[in-house]
Amino acid sequence: VTNKLEIDWPDRAVERVRAARGRLELAAAELVDWPLAERIGALARVVEAWTAPDSVWRRELAEALGASSPFDPRTVRAGLDDALGAWRAADFAALCRRELALVLEDDEMELLPFEWTAVLAGGSIPMPTLLSTWLPLVLGSPVLLRETTHDRETADLLGRSLEAVDRRLGRAFEAIHFPHEDEPALTAFLEAPCVVATGSDETIASIRSRLAPATRFTGYGHRFSIGLLGPELASDRALLERAARGIALDVARWDQSGCLSPAVVYLLGLREPARADLAHAIHEALERITAEMPRGELSPGARTDHASERAEARMREAGGRGAQLFEGEEHTLVLEADAHPRPAPLHRFLRLMPVADAGELERALEPFRGMLSTSFIAGFPEPAEAEIRSALSGLGLSRYARPGTLQCPPIDWPHDGMPLLTPMARLVRNG
Amino acid sequence: MRREEIEAELLRWMSDPDWTRDEERFESLALALFRHQHATCEPYSRYCRSLLRGPENVTSVAEIPTVPTGAFKEFELRCFAADATLKIFRTSGTSTERRGQLLLDTLVLYEASLLSSLRRLLLVGIDPGREGPGHAVAASTAPTGKPIMRFFAPSALEAPDSSLSHMFDVLARKEGAAQSGFDLHDGRLDLVAFAEGIRLGQNLDRPMLIGGTSFAFVHWLDATANDTASEAAERWRLPAGSRVMETGGFKGRSREVPRERLRAELADRFGLLPEAIVNQYGMTELGSQFYDSTLLDPTGPRRKLAPPWTRVRFVDPDVGRDVGPGEVGMVVIHDLANTGSIAAIQTADLGRSVLDDAGRSIGFDIVGRASGAEARGCSIATDTMLEASGGTAS
Repeated sequence: VTNKLEIDWPDRAVERVRAARGRLELAAAELVDWPLAERIGALARVVEAWTAPDSVWRRELAEALGASSPFDPRTVRAGLDDALGAWRAADFAALCRRELALVLEDDEMELLPFEWTAVLAGGSIPMPTLLSTWLPLVLGSPVLLRETTHDRETADLLGRSLEAVDRRLGRAFEAIHFPHEDEPALTAFLEAPCVVATGSDETIASIRSRLAPATRFTGYGHRFSIGLLGPELASDRALLERAARGIALDVARWDQSGCLSPAVVYLLGLREPARADLAHAIHEALERITAEMPRGELSPGARTDHASERAEARMREAGGRGAQLFEGEEHTLVLEADAHPRPAPLHRFLRLMPVADAGELERALEPFRGMLSTSFIAGFPEPAEAEIRSALSGLGLSRYARPGTLQCPPIDWPHDGMPLLTPMARLVRNG
Repeated sequence: MRREEIEAELLRWMSDPDWTRDEERFESLALALFRHQHATCEPYSRYCRSLLRGPENVTSVAEIPTVPTGAFKEFELRCFAADATLKIFRTSGTSTERRGQLLLDTLVLYEASLLSSLRRLLLVGIDPGREGPGHAVAASTAPTGKPIMRFFAPSALEAPDSSLSHMFDVLARKEGAAQSGFDLHDGRLDLVAFAEGIRLGQNLDRPMLIGGTSFAFVHWLDATANDTASEAAERWRLPAGSRVMETGGFKGRSREVPRERLRAELADRFGLLPEAIVNQYGMTELGSQFYDSTLLDPTGPRRKLAPPWTRVRFVDPDVGRDVGPGEVGMVVIHDLANTGSIAAIQTADLGRSVLDDAGRSIGFDIVGRASGAEARGCSIATDTMLEASGGTAS
């Protein structure tokens, strides 16, 4: 017999969504009354709390995700340290002031915050969840976050970190989880006047089709990243070693499973034996990095993908088709003979594909127009690098970086080529 | 054993309507076929050498090197001279994509295998003369006579390199009524002809067989979604004893529909029991196919049944060893009907044995595709990259 009665109320997700919405709409009044410049300052302090080297929030999140996610705890810790370490609170504040200059500097331009913003998180990497929450709050719109199944840890810490900086921020944030097939809950969730979603292209399209015409919607579909390596690597051993170490980091971080992970690396103008030298160097760097950032547990599907692609590469190697297979305990590297598109199993499976010049590279990437996120680039003299960027300008890449920094963009990086705040802002001109 | 002898033995096996399993017979034929294919298919023998395996040290089926389906895009995997090629079946894709291909110098074994499976698992109950003891589905209620067959697929003339169209063509010629035909032309479903075919079946009260790709059925369901219940009943209700065979995935061709839901929607629209909706698991690279058990064994669990000249294994992808009974593993298929190609195929699918109460395997389930398994050229390779990277979007 128990003398303690535990109830779960409201017992349906749709009711929890509605209850949270009611609380957030009350909290909105406090946010609106808070001057924009001060809100930016408060959110910058939240960013500082997460990005400082001794951040308790980051440490707690690393421990929680390390225990609950399929990633190895050391890989989680390194991934968070590297990505959040690259974010600067000052950059965040500057970004907000820059994008909202028309409100801050023009008395006749007014920011009219949405009553609340629904943020649909995706994937298991926490940085997009953090940023997608902070941005609407800057704009004065409370946030209801639907947690992703893969990450049930970030939201709680995020809420507490907001509360710790300012109770108004704490009250303006709530998180909820419901299964994607819970139609009533999803419908109630998507009644928000502003919706931000991260997910597969199918998910984004599905959500968009369900929204009322007046709903403001920002969707981040899936992208993938690439690498570009040039001929200077053939003549500069130190440069090659640095690039190899950087590529290994980019591949190992989050086990190559994010949009900022390189799916394929193109070798421009590199001939044999330089290609094989480079492949060896990357293979060895990937081998070494296993000790500091071990690969996490692979799903049966991912393991099957790896087995299939390894066997296929081995067969091409044995058949004299020019492919060279480098197999590690926790990684696979294939030096291809051409740039024909092939599956990218990820989870530390990297292909190196040779192309003769920027024109061939552009043709190889043409099928992926609009689907590319970021590229690392190394080994080119400056004029050649500029020429390559120019040749690829129409493909939709929104950032170029050096090997080793692909997964660590600055906080003000224009994700998918878009401004960060203004897509979620509602403006009114008085006069 | 020469290839001709292996094929003669297989043809004898395929003509056995009871599908008697014989592990010793299978093992012996599989090893003989491996020796033949190792000796006559150079890419395969080079691959085997890279794995340090060959006839000298392979002593069991499980030791035979398996070829990934992707290799059919890269190599002409044939055990005969190029000029003896009689037929080429290609995986789906566009003309600019690299497509997998199965090369054949004879269709005798290929067609014997497909007909044997279709007769036993899809046509069971329609012709009482072919019904085995204890296989009761629909036999008591279904009229006899050759079924009218309509297919949501292009004809073999329109798609000469499609193994599915070829299969439907052979099936219709050998087992279908004269009114059978194809209702997908130039990429469009011909709903008028399809409705007319059904009306004919209704008038004759003759069981029908509707076959097609899963995505084509989804398009048909969408196209007829606004029919009222009475319109649907009038136009689409199939005669007693009818059945539907659907196969393949949806990727990039229609909206995705969970298999169970597709089955339920098809059963509802056609006025059939769910048991009459049969999924086929097959692939261009194979000479044999696998069908749901529900027509042959309507009271047992739905599972795929394998012809006795095939062996479906589930292996740990990391080490290549068989997983435990009932555990999920990568699907590896040894299909002895692939005499002119390679018989040992490594798929990118996941599956598991279905066990009876005594722990014996009574069939298998496909539990999902690995994420990159549907890569069929650049457009889908894009999808694959995105799909894979989408695991954790950032």
